[in-house]
Amino acid sequence: MNDLNTNMIEKYRNSFLNEVEANVEEGEWVKMCMQCGVCSGSCPLGNAWEHPPQELFMMIRAGKREEVLSSDSMWMCTSCYNCIVRCPREVPITHIMHGLAHYARRLGMEPKEQPTAKFAQLFWDNLMKKGRVNELKLGIDLYFKVGEGMKTALKNKDIGIAMWKAKRMNPMEFFGGHAVKDLNGFQKAIKKAEELEAARLDKHKA
Amino acid sequence: MSDEIKYSGYLCTGCGIGDRLDASQIEMIATREGKMSACKSHEMLCSKEGVEMIRNGIDNDGVTHVMIAACSRRAKVEAFNFNDVAMTRANLREGVIWVRPDDDEQQETTQEMADDYIRMACAELRSSKQPAPSGEQTLNKNILVVGGGVTGMTAAIEAAKAGYTVHIVEKSGALGGWASKWYKRIPFKAAAAGTSNSRTADLPQPIETGVDEMIAAVEADGNITVHLNSIVSKTSGAPGRFSADISTESGSTTTENFGSIVQASGFTLFDPSELSAYNYANSADIITNAEMEELAKAADGGPIKRPSDGKEVQSVAFVQNVAQSSDKKGELPYHSGIGDLIAIKQAIYCNDLNPGCSTTIMFDNLRTPGAAGEDFYRAGQQAMITFTKGIVSEVVAGDSPTVKFKDLILDDDAEMACDLVVLDVGMVPNSGPDPYAGIEDLETGKAGGESEVVGDAIEEAAKAAPEVSVDSILNLGYRQGTDLPQLKWGFTDSHFICFPYETRRTGIYAAGPVRRPMDIKQAQDDATGAALKAIQALEHAGSNNAVHPRVGDLSFPTFRKEGCTQCKRCSVECPFGAIDEDDKGFPMYNESRCRRCGTCMGACPVRVISFENYSVETVGQQIKNVEIPAEFDENPRILVLACENDAYPALDQAAISGEEVSPWARVIPVRCLGSVSISWVTDAMSNGYDGVIMMGCQRGEDYQCHFVRGSAMAAERMAKVGDTLEQLGLESERVVVHEVAITDIVRAPALIKEMEETIDKIGPSPFKF
Amino acid sequence: MTEVVATNETILVVGGGISGMTAAIEAAETGKRVVLVEKRAYLGGRVSQFYKYFPKMCFPTCGLEINQRRTKMNPNITVLTMAEVTNLEGEAGNYNATITLSPRYINDNCTGCGDCAKVVEAEFDNEYDYGMSKRKGAYLPHVMAHPMRYVLDPAIIGTEDADKARAACKVDAVDLDMQQEEVKFNCGAVIWATGWQPYDADKIQPYGHDRFDNVLSNVEFERMCDPKGPTGGKIVRPSDGKVAKNIAFIQCAGSRDHNHLYHCSRICCMATLKQTNYVTDALGDDADVTIYYIDIRSIDRFEDFYKKVQDNDNVKFIKSKVASVTRDSGGNPVCNGVDTEGYHRYANAHDMVILATGMEPSVDADKFPVDIVINREGFIEADEKNGGIFAAGVASEALDVNRAVQHATGAALRAIQVINRVATTEA
Repeated sequence: MNDLNTNMIEKYRNSFLNEVEANVEEGEWVKMCMQCGVCSGSCPLGNAWEHPPQELFMMIRAGKREEVLSSDSMWMCTSCYNCIVRCPREVPITHIMHGLAHYARRLGMEPKEQPTAKFAQLFWDNLMKKGRVNELKLGIDLYFKVGEGMKTALKNKDIGIAMWKAKRMNPMEFFGGHAVKDLNGFQKAIKKAEELEAARLDKHKA
Repeated sequence: MSDEIKYSGYLCTGCGIGDRLDASQIEMIATREGKMSACKSHEMLCSKEGVEMIRNGIDNDGVTHVMIAACSRRAKVEAFNFNDVAMTRANLREGVIWVRPDDDEQQETTQEMADDYIRMACAELRSSKQPAPSGEQTLNKNILVVGGGVTGMTAAIEAAKAGYTVHIVEKSGALGGWASKWYKRIPFKAAAAGTSNSRTADLPQPIETGVDEMIAAVEADGNITVHLNSIVSKTSGAPGRFSADISTESGSTTTENFGSIVQASGFTLFDPSELSAYNYANSADIITNAEMEELAKAADGGPIKRPSDGKEVQSVAFVQNVAQSSDKKGELPYHSGIGDLIAIKQAIYCNDLNPGCSTTIMFDNLRTPGAAGEDFYRAGQQAMITFTKGIVSEVVAGDSPTVKFKDLILDDDAEMACDLVVLDVGMVPNSGPDPYAGIEDLETGKAGGESEVVGDAIEEAAKAAPEVSVDSILNLGYRQGTDLPQLKWGFTDSHFICFPYETRRTGIYAAGPVRRPMDIKQAQDDATGAALKAIQALEHAGSNNAVHPRVGDLSFPTFRKEGCTQCKRCSVECPFGAIDEDDKGFPMYNESRCRRCGTCMGACPVRVISFENYSVETVGQQIKNVEIPAEFDENPRILVLACENDAYPALDQAAISGEEVSPWARVIPVRCLGSVSISWVTDAMSNGYDGVIMMGCQRGEDYQCHFVRGSAMAAERMAKVGDTLEQLGLESERVVVHEVAITDIVRAPALIKEMEETIDKIGPSPFKF
Repeated sequence: MTEVVATNETILVVGGGISGMTAAIEAAETGKRVVLVEKRAYLGGRVSQFYKYFPKMCFPTCGLEINQRRTKMNPNITVLTMAEVTNLEGEAGNYNATITLSPRYINDNCTGCGDCAKVVEAEFDNEYDYGMSKRKGAYLPHVMAHPMRYVLDPAIIGTEDADKARAACKVDAVDLDMQQEEVKFNCGAVIWATGWQPYDADKIQPYGHDRFDNVLSNVEFERMCDPKGPTGGKIVRPSDGKVAKNIAFIQCAGSRDHNHLYHCSRICCMATLKQTNYVTDALGDDADVTIYYIDIRSIDRFEDFYKKVQDNDNVKFIKSKVASVTRDSGGNPVCNGVDTEGYHRYANAHDMVILATGMEPSVDADKFPVDIVINREGFIEADEKNGGIFAAGVASEALDVNRAVQHATGAALRAIQVINRVATTEA
């Protein structure tokens, strides 16, 4: 168990809800859920969720920290925003799902071999290189590095060719690819943000 | 003013009456048979000119008794509103032409119907007098309020603001009641206009109770007198002339006169000591919601400390719906309705006074209704209360009491240890002894045909009721018990949804949690309404006017003493406990307690009770004046005695909707089926009617009878008619009692048709000439 | 011209539903003069459209009959129908009210005989049945309507139908030249009892009320169950007229929801339990009812009513706010969502779906003639700033009939207090 996780358990011993409020994006809204279940029912990928959002909220309130943070449910969210639109209490469910996933990842508690988590990491790494996403490389990484494999790649071949023809994707991008205008500035900004975040987390460790 | 009586008939020939019926024949019947001095026609009697014609007769021709032959008595009421004469109405429109087909074949029987209704209206008129105040009425603008809690104080303050004087009688040594123990109250306003739905929105929070201000207002009000440490040891009289003995603990008694009474005797909290699952008796840290208020109040703005060891509370579980909504013996079958709002309020206290305190509310259905309620739920969520839908199986006593529960959302058996457990217990009304306790059969109408059961049961109950009970709130010196009758589970509420202030003791209005579990806001609203009704009752008593539902009725019952056998039927059966008995057992009518339903009249076996315009005679003469065709004529006659509140309007609507009614029917509206004298039925039979139908309101648990027991009483009495019929050699099918609702537009005429078929089967009455 | 005799000791009651009628009658029976103003052509309001009341399962018209009789007999009450308050000025003890009367095209001569309706041919959606039936262009709004006078639909004015109606009337009651008019009078206190309207079910898009025939709102279902209603009381599917046995109720349809109404209307749970009784009474063991709910709010003494329905084997309760209603190939509405108790997903087909919509206060906050405190949900809050204007019934909060009547009775006293103050000062 990582150090940050231990510290967080210690700090919020009494209330996982408080922990979520303080550390999860839009976590302050979790308390406003009234357990109607419309978010869970409205989710187009609902079948794939072991614990739908409303249940996750109840689990948070019931202090089921381990179960929530190690769950793969919130990783299922595709940001369609159906739940937010329907929520009678205006809870930003989509954001909380991502927030929870992010928090779990930071504590090192996300499920192993979680494809969404992996993709997210690929996306991030890809983005960091040039300050923009290199879609060709992202695709290649996804299909060949993560193990989605050749079959999936071939299935999507027509789309790729169509995008190429429509000039939506350039094969030349394979060689380096272009960057944002001020790549140096971008990287500096990211570095600064990382420092700030680290400082914030250090406080928890102290 | 001369005492000379002059009868006059007025016939409307409009709305097709003149086209369908022979007006000259009607005029002739009215004058020759009906003995009207004249019968004037008008082509639209309800028009200004028509009404003026009648007015002119009254003002200038000395007409004292008016017979109007036109539409139903329910129509054109505003036009035909002549309060200074006796008046009857023959219903030729809804009663005749609108329910009969317009063809030549039917013409004769339709005309016969009309002729009979004219005879009936004239006969009724000849037996009627114009009602006038008895002279007994007194106007007393002083109101007695029993109970000095929020409800009682509100009733007093509001009545005083309208210019009436009030006496508050409070059993304890201080005003304020339960609410004076509360730390704060549930907010009664919803979020202000423009408030967003953000999680930091400014939502209603618990507010000051305002009880101290109310007490100060009561004490400062010159119109309000407060009697502390006092009870009402005796109440006698009637609206307008109540006399109450107010006795103090020390034994002194003062007597005051009142026009009307508001009973605001409040509630007692359910005692959870006997509930083994909650261990309330075994831990100082398992407390009731009322005790939580006291803890919060004692904290005086500082942190709430738990009773056992004074530790500052850091976690609280609120266990909702304890021994409420339950069918277990000794528990409450109802719900306080406000327990969840109270829990939210108290959890917010914890949040405010004990920073970092965790609060969990374990509920089954979260009841936070309305705009204010739902906003307060949101406020509770903002305050980080954990709302858990769950069923608590046990609260275990110990250093930290532990709640064992099933979390229904997570489908988990769970437990939670905390510093304090608060039990949401319900409210038990402080009613006096129910005058009708033990005779539930009557209320449910299940008494069946066992002859005297009903009356005797009431009598027994009345006897059994102690003269002065320690538990009694009002100590009424009434024939039928010391206190207000109860509806259900001890609440002295009204049975009527549309008339929540209908009580069964005229001029005495219950208010606040004695009627129904309530919070401060509801109790204040209720008290204000009760204050209005109390004002109204005393004003009506001052003019000898009936109160609801026969408002404006000046008629009241009197009895012929020489004929009375002191059988006490009337005093026992009056649904409103209006009739007492004197030393010799003669009835004493307290007219301002009377609701003018006539149940006493229906009860009287010797037919000595009557109203000026409604009596055994007024109806009996209508029955006798119908022309009964000879046996070989094959034209039967069916008497329909229809309750004027529901059955008669149903028949009217049948007419408006184009339903047909049997031409053999002769319908007489009655004030209540309870007023029906058995003699009317036997008279009808011996006069040759072939069948009698009585139509009254639904009886039983969900009774619709506006006079509470009238319809049930009638059914009881009529159960005995069968014997009489058999003695006369008549089939019992000839007399039936039906429950008819105002919506029975199709069914009511069908029931008459059914009787017609019965007569077809069993043949005409052998009593025809 | 309509004339109203009123002084600053008169109470103006706005709204002639159960609350307004109660307030008006109670004040009048206490000896005060009252002008009762009603927008519709008749008194009784929304409750006159109910088949039965919970929990007694009794008929609203039963109480309406008594209240109408009290109104008719009381000379203290002046009733103005088809009338709306268009302006109000002044302060407690002295208001000037302007009332706009829409033409009824039928005058006081009307005897309710119905000759005009017989000859008029044009038909319109019957608002009394929420458009589920038709009425003539000359009509009596309902069989117990008070005043018992017909109404001509403005749409037939200038058509042949109007002339036919006039020709058919034997008492000269049809007045085609009737114009909108304004009446102004003085009053001392105002009781605002404008009640509610059912929340527009079409706005709850995922439930398809506007798209699916077999999705009804609770007020529509109420009319359907009434023997006087559009189907003669038969519970049938609008799409194919088949008897509906498998019926779902969706609670909080548009309530407790920031997308629609913030508030809980208090009555919808009980209304659904009542309507469940209609279904089980009509169909016995053939009934198959599902109630989708968040919280069942059967308040205080209504618990036993809830309990009785719970004990019925033909009724299921599912704790869930239905996510969407779709339609299957058989035309059946399908409820989709998650049972939050233990997390079970469902897609249940029903014969018919009833949306338990809530009450929206009919208080127009933007156009309210005087300064008054109105909360976020649109109800009038009791406040000293309101002067001599007192809300009664649902204008003040989502209330059931019993509570509304209680509240209206209290409002009558508050108005009387103002009137009595005026009377004392001027005496």
